[in-house]
This record gives sequence, structure tokens and C-alpha cells, in this order.
Amino acid sequence: MKKIAKTLSVVLIAFTISFAQGFKVKPTGEKTFNFEDKYSRNQASFFSTTPLEDITGISNAVMGKVTFNVGDIKTLKGSISVSVASIKTGIDLRDEHLRSDNWLDAESYPEITFMIKKVGDVKIIADNKLEAKLTGDFTAHGVTKEVVADVTMTYLDESEQTKERAPGDLLGVQATFNIVLSDYDVENMVVGQKVSEDIEISINIVGSSAI
Amino acid sequence: MNSKQKYVIAVALILIAAALIWWLGSGSEILSKDGIWVEKPLTELDKTLGLKPELEFHEKFILGLIPHVAVFSGVVGFISALLFFIFKTKKTKEIQ
Repeated sequence: MKKIAKTLSVVLIAFTISFAQGFKVKPTGEKTFNFEDKYSRNQASFFSTTPLEDITGISNAVMGKVTFNVGDIKTLKGSISVSVASIKTGIDLRDEHLRSDNWLDAESYPEITFMIKKVGDVKIIADNKLEAKLTGDFTAHGVTKEVVADVTMTYLDESEQTKERAPGDLLGVQATFNIVLSDYDVENMVVGQKVSEDIEISINIVGSSAI
Repeated sequence: MNSKQKYVIAVALILIAAALIWWLGSGSEILSKDGIWVEKPLTELDKTLGLKPELEFHEKFILGLIPHVAVFSGVVGFISALLFFIFKTKKTKEIQ
């Protein structure tokens, strides 16, 4: 009986290891990456179309942490947030309108967040690079909805080159997903322009394991 | 139409044309802008990390049709119409 239990355990561990999808890099085990960047190089952006012109909004106030087992990306947990007050569109009047209670209401809801729930469709591109679909709770204007983001992640061990950006191992994350404005109780008008219901959101960030 | 009225129309047209030429030269944007987004070049490390170019905000006023050129043309048109009417009235009185 003991022998059967042992064999089953070994088979189960081997099965788990063989199906774990993650980075094949030197560091192992659980790692936490912090996306706080004192030089504000991490960026989140949104893109929308209006009949008059396309609107691009940018924020460099991106914060958050993720934790995962380096060898198994499906263990990924954490969240990313953006300060609403930091979003710029290139027109001061429009930025004010964006922050007002008619739109994102920065005073009542100062942050937009993405909380990771599940990782799926993992595709290994290289030993240190993979693509996946991240399912998470996206919260804006006090409303939370589930969204799926296409994400590319790149893991770099600490080196002289990576130290130029930040100390520790680095995790580069490039993610894109779409939301529907009306889902978040947001009027789709900005300074008299009707904004598209579909908004594309992109995240372009680097986290460090040593911050 | 007397000579003063013709002068008012000519000045108004020149001012509106100048505003439109300035707008065309400023990039023909529909909305006036306070700044532009510029793509920063990627470093080798950025490329290795799979990042897209970071957009950098540069403060720069760009004249747009709305509101600046439209408001200016509207004000010029309104003043011209007012002067046109005033000069017409004065001429009528002179004839009487």
C-alpha cells in the first residue's frame, strides 16, 4: 500500500512538473516583482476614437506587484494600478473633464486597478519569454468587471545591462485588452465629443525583484 | 455697398484667411492642443524586455480649428457685420 502511495506521489509530482509552464531561467522558486519606478518609465495608455479625432491618454504613475513561481506562470498573482489624476491626453481641458465626476471621478475613485485572477493559454516563446491570456478584475469608476488581457512577459536575470534599469531580476510586461465604457457607468462624451464605446488599454511596464 | 463697408469686408476676409493659413501651418488639427506625444527610442534593454516605445509628453501649443480659429473667425465676422450695419445706417442718414 505504501509502495503504491509513493509511486502515485512520484507520478503526480512528475506530471505537475512536466505540465508547469513558466520561465526556464537560473532563479527558481517564488519571486515578487515590484513595478514601482522612481523614474516613471512604466506606462499605461488608452486609445479611443471620436468623430473629430483619436484620443490617446497616458499615465506614467503605474504601481503594483506580482508574485509567481518562476517555473510555473499559472501561479501568478498580484495587481497593477494607475492613478486617475495622472492621466494626460494632450489637452488640459479634456484632462480636467476626464478627472471630473462626469467621467472617471478621480476624487471618489482615485485609482484604476487590474487584479490578476487566472493565467491561461500559455505559449512559451523562449526560455525567458512567454505569451499568455490573463483573466482579471478590472476596476474603474468604482465598477469591477472581468476582462481578459493578451500579455507578453520577458524575464531577465540580473546583469550589468539590467542594472541600467533597476537592481535585481527584471520582468517586462506588455499587455493589451479592451473595455466597454458603458460597463463602467462612464458617459462617452469628452468635451463635446462622442467617444467610442470600446477603449483599448495597453500596459508597458518593467518590474524588479529587488525593489 | 459704400467704400467703408467694402473696407470692413476686405479686412475681415484678410483676418479670417490669415487665421486659416496659420491653422493650416500649425498642422490642421481640429482641436487645439497643449502638447504632443513623442515616441522615445527603445534601448537595447527595452527591446530585450519586449517593450513598446514609451510615449513622452512635450508641452507645445498647437492651434486647432476648435475653439481658437472658429472663435476668432466668429468674433471677426460678428464685429464686421456690426460695422457693416453701422456704416450702412450712417450712409442712409446722409442721403436723407
